[in-house]
Amino acid sequence: MKKQISEILKIIGIFLFGKFKKFTLRFKKSKSMKDIMMIYYSEAKSARLTRKKVAWITSGGPVEPLIAMDVIPIYPENHGAMIGASKMGGGLCETAENMGYSSDLCSYARADIACATVNGGPIGGLPKPDMLVCCNNICGTVLKWYEIQARYFNVPLFVLDTPFCHTGYSNEVARYVRSQINEYISFIERACGRKFDYDRVKKVGHLSFQGQQLWQAVLDTAAHKPAPMSAFDAFYHLALIVTLRGTPEVIDYYTALLAKMKDRIARGIGAVPNEKYRLLWDNIPIWHRTRWLYDKFASHNACLVADTYTSAWCGTMKYIDESNFIDSIAEAYTRIYLNIGVDEMAKMVIAMIDKYDVDGFVLHSNRSCKPYSFGQMDIQRIVEKERGIPCLMIEADMVDERSFSESQISTRIDAFMEIIKERKKHSPANAGAKG
Amino acid sequence: MKKFTEFKNIATDPYTYCRKYKEETGKKIVGYTCSYTPEEIIYAAGALPFRLFGTNEGIHRADMHLQSYCCSLVRGILEEGLSGRLDFLDGAVFPHTCDSIQRLSDIWRLNVTPQFHIDLVLPVKLNTTSARQYLIDILEKFKKDLEHALGVKITDSTLSDAIKTYNQIRALMMRLYTLRAQRPEILSGQDFHSIIKAAMIMDRQLFLKTLGEIVAQVEKAPVSKIKPGTKKIVLTGGICSHPDIYDIIENAGGIVVWDDLCTGSRYFEGVLDEKAPPLEAIAQRYLDRDICPAKHAGLTDRGESIIQMVRKHQADGVVFMLLKFCDPHAFDYPYIKEMLDRENIPCMLLDMEEQIPSGGQLQTRFETFIQIL
Amino acid sequence: MRTAGIDIGSITAKAAIFDNGKIIATKVIFTGYNAELAGQRVYEEVLIEAGLAKVDIDRIISTGYGRKAVAFADKSFTEIMAHAAGAHFLNPRIRSIIDIGGQDSKAILLDDKGKVKNFVMNDKCAAGTGRFLEVMARALEVNLDEFGAISQKSAAPSKISSLCTVFAESEVISLIARGEKRQDIIAGIHESIASRVSSMLARIGVQKPAMITGGVALNSGVVLALSKKLGMEIEVSPYAQVNGAIGAAILATFL
Repeated sequence: MKKQISEILKIIGIFLFGKFKKFTLRFKKSKSMKDIMMIYYSEAKSARLTRKKVAWITSGGPVEPLIAMDVIPIYPENHGAMIGASKMGGGLCETAENMGYSSDLCSYARADIACATVNGGPIGGLPKPDMLVCCNNICGTVLKWYEIQARYFNVPLFVLDTPFCHTGYSNEVARYVRSQINEYISFIERACGRKFDYDRVKKVGHLSFQGQQLWQAVLDTAAHKPAPMSAFDAFYHLALIVTLRGTPEVIDYYTALLAKMKDRIARGIGAVPNEKYRLLWDNIPIWHRTRWLYDKFASHNACLVADTYTSAWCGTMKYIDESNFIDSIAEAYTRIYLNIGVDEMAKMVIAMIDKYDVDGFVLHSNRSCKPYSFGQMDIQRIVEKERGIPCLMIEADMVDERSFSESQISTRIDAFMEIIKERKKHSPANAGAKG
Repeated sequence: MKKFTEFKNIATDPYTYCRKYKEETGKKIVGYTCSYTPEEIIYAAGALPFRLFGTNEGIHRADMHLQSYCCSLVRGILEEGLSGRLDFLDGAVFPHTCDSIQRLSDIWRLNVTPQFHIDLVLPVKLNTTSARQYLIDILEKFKKDLEHALGVKITDSTLSDAIKTYNQIRALMMRLYTLRAQRPEILSGQDFHSIIKAAMIMDRQLFLKTLGEIVAQVEKAPVSKIKPGTKKIVLTGGICSHPDIYDIIENAGGIVVWDDLCTGSRYFEGVLDEKAPPLEAIAQRYLDRDICPAKHAGLTDRGESIIQMVRKHQADGVVFMLLKFCDPHAFDYPYIKEMLDRENIPCMLLDMEEQIPSGGQLQTRFETFIQIL
Repeated sequence: MRTAGIDIGSITAKAAIFDNGKIIATKVIFTGYNAELAGQRVYEEVLIEAGLAKVDIDRIISTGYGRKAVAFADKSFTEIMAHAAGAHFLNPRIRSIIDIGGQDSKAILLDDKGKVKNFVMNDKCAAGTGRFLEVMARALEVNLDEFGAISQKSAAPSKISSLCTVFAESEVISLIARGEKRQDIIAGIHESIASRVSSMLARIGVQKPAMITGGVALNSGVVLALSKKLGMEIEVSPYAQVNGAIGAAILATFL
């Protein structure tokens, strides 16, 4: 058993250290992220030996009830990001295509479906699930993806159906989702063979809420000029609020991170050494090109200071009632950024443009994510009309590196930055400014 | 047959029909996108439910709103909306179907005016008590929204009448399906397709009447001998708006004996319980019906249903007609194919766009498939 | 019995004469814009080649994209049926046929009697077809005929990962700018096309032994790359370009 665990640790350690070394160099004490994730994945991989249950859950799913029952939550989408970052997406997607899955399908799903059959990916595959929890607040693809895995692994599947809120949250939806939360709890009880711990979930809920508040505070620091962190840092640090929401580790980590950011603000240190231009990013990151994109924009003295993706994990706090956590998670998990109308999304984008005072908007038109990408053209036009800032659309895929045309995108970014520079030069706000 | 000409005209040029209909009857027309639309409620409100298909024109305006990796059905519907060709619509109803339709609704609401717009966010799950309750709740809400939009009152009695009409239409259509499989010569592929399409466009009472006459005629015709060597095909997929598909298959030596298409048997399948409260009856039909891949019930329901279909109609093979960029269907394909392989049922996958490709590619594929059956 | 087969493709029209179990003549011409005329012409020319007259031929089968335009054919079959018949004749042990043409690619599975068991086609996307190679040849300013020989010199093929031909062309141009060796780039192009084709094959499961036909079969580099990717020997049809016409002629003997 010891040998197995140390082997697993070795694989994970090599991967994490290699991939994230470049980021950890900027933050000397960040090895705790590596430690936390290593322990997290190795615990999950040895769950069989420690008699713990493993649940695969969608990134927008309510994880707090699972944590309250000591079930280890695994996020295939987080794993998908790791696959993308290791540039293994293309290969795994090809395997899925050979299994009969169209190349037009979501690359997270394709990579994961392939990975399960070949134990591929950077950490030798995910641990087998004892149960699957699928919340369709982020998209309809996860439903199909989890149905496939339910057939493949032959384990129980729970679907939390959070109806789309085009223009608001109705009573009918509230009732439906709330009943399903009860069904979810029964599902977990059956899977774990014991009664649900309502007291524990209150505590977990409290920690979850605290974690989200801290994450919001961390993201808020980027409003400072220069921003102490960029969206690319946020993509990296996001992992914990997604995978370990509701645990004390998250609180400790983000508290330390927040302190670090405040320190950098005090010392005037920016994520981009000579920040002249501030940009907003939209959509899931291009995981296989985060470093390239950071460098490319930095070469123009531009910093992507904020994004709509990472803020989604603290975006529904206003619907959470801490004193009534189990009741309020129905609304909190239904009204997330991707489950609302395009016009409402546009309003939130404009709010971020104002809050972070950005000069331009970069939209990743992500082949793999229809709910996020369809509507971007309208959002872009609304932004151009309401705020008049230049917008750039980059066509790519979050995980499949075969759909990335470097020279074309490079040219587009250069052209976009030229426009931004010209505008800033001639803007009245620039008279005597440090920009 | 004159009736066929009428249906054909409606199917080829639905907009002219609709404009004339409005002029002559003064009634309202409500557009919709999905087979899960409770047409009975729209009909009971005194309006004509009008199915939105894609477009036969080129797609230009929609390119300003939807990327190329969006299916041609959604892009086509948006194109028609933006072009002004659908300005005879008084409103549009968007049931929740898939991610693309979901965003189409938002984009339509923001860009296609001035008709009324109703979102009908049906449950994705169709196999739990809470989903059933939500479905009934949301149908109730839809009824109120529609009453408000059209300025009418929908009574239980008008709903019951609507249900009766639709039950009759559906029963006749299912009968026609069976008859046609036995008597392919009496009804050409094109005509059959025209009838199916007209069912989603035409005044429902008139359609019912004419359909009744056609079915009666077809019943009387002798069961024609199917040419020896003709292969029986089951079609599976979403929308089929190609009138030529049936012809292509028949010219290649095949005949479609059944389908599970959204614009086919799934649209006509099922009988509403006329004794139950109307909205509950409507809801129950959606729960019992063969499921759309964008919905969730059992894990292998669709595969089992297709196999049953093949066995029941003694089909020789299955053809998957999958619209390019349609995710729900594409995700289901591998497991259903696996099930078919296990049952030794040959199948073929066709990647379709809304427009039939030129160059005889479809013909080649069908001919070859039918040859190897 | 003497039969003829006529294969009208979108770029080239082919004809073959089959006489008592032997291929006695084949011909290839450009189709041009009139498929019907091309059919007539290629038939006349293959007759001249064989030293025969129209009256000497008992039956004619047409195949290919323009098969319906050959009015004088007795019957037409799809090119899948025709390729299967042609390959089976050349080697009855063949169980899979990989056909990479100028505009499309296909894979065909045969049973032990040479009948088509299953097939898959790619006729929408340039990647995985001869067109892909043409585009790359232009970008590299190398004669397409030399591709095979040049790629043999490569010890380390470049990695070209784009799915789309236009993206891949862009990638190749970047590689040229970076100073990568021509032979490595060409070997990389071969691996790319092999990858596309093997993905298509995986949908029906290729079985040994396999034969490759179509214009691209003449490119030894592609054959090698495909062979490596599939992990099996691939027989190159000696009649790669005219296999369809031969198959059509053979099918005529069964009428």
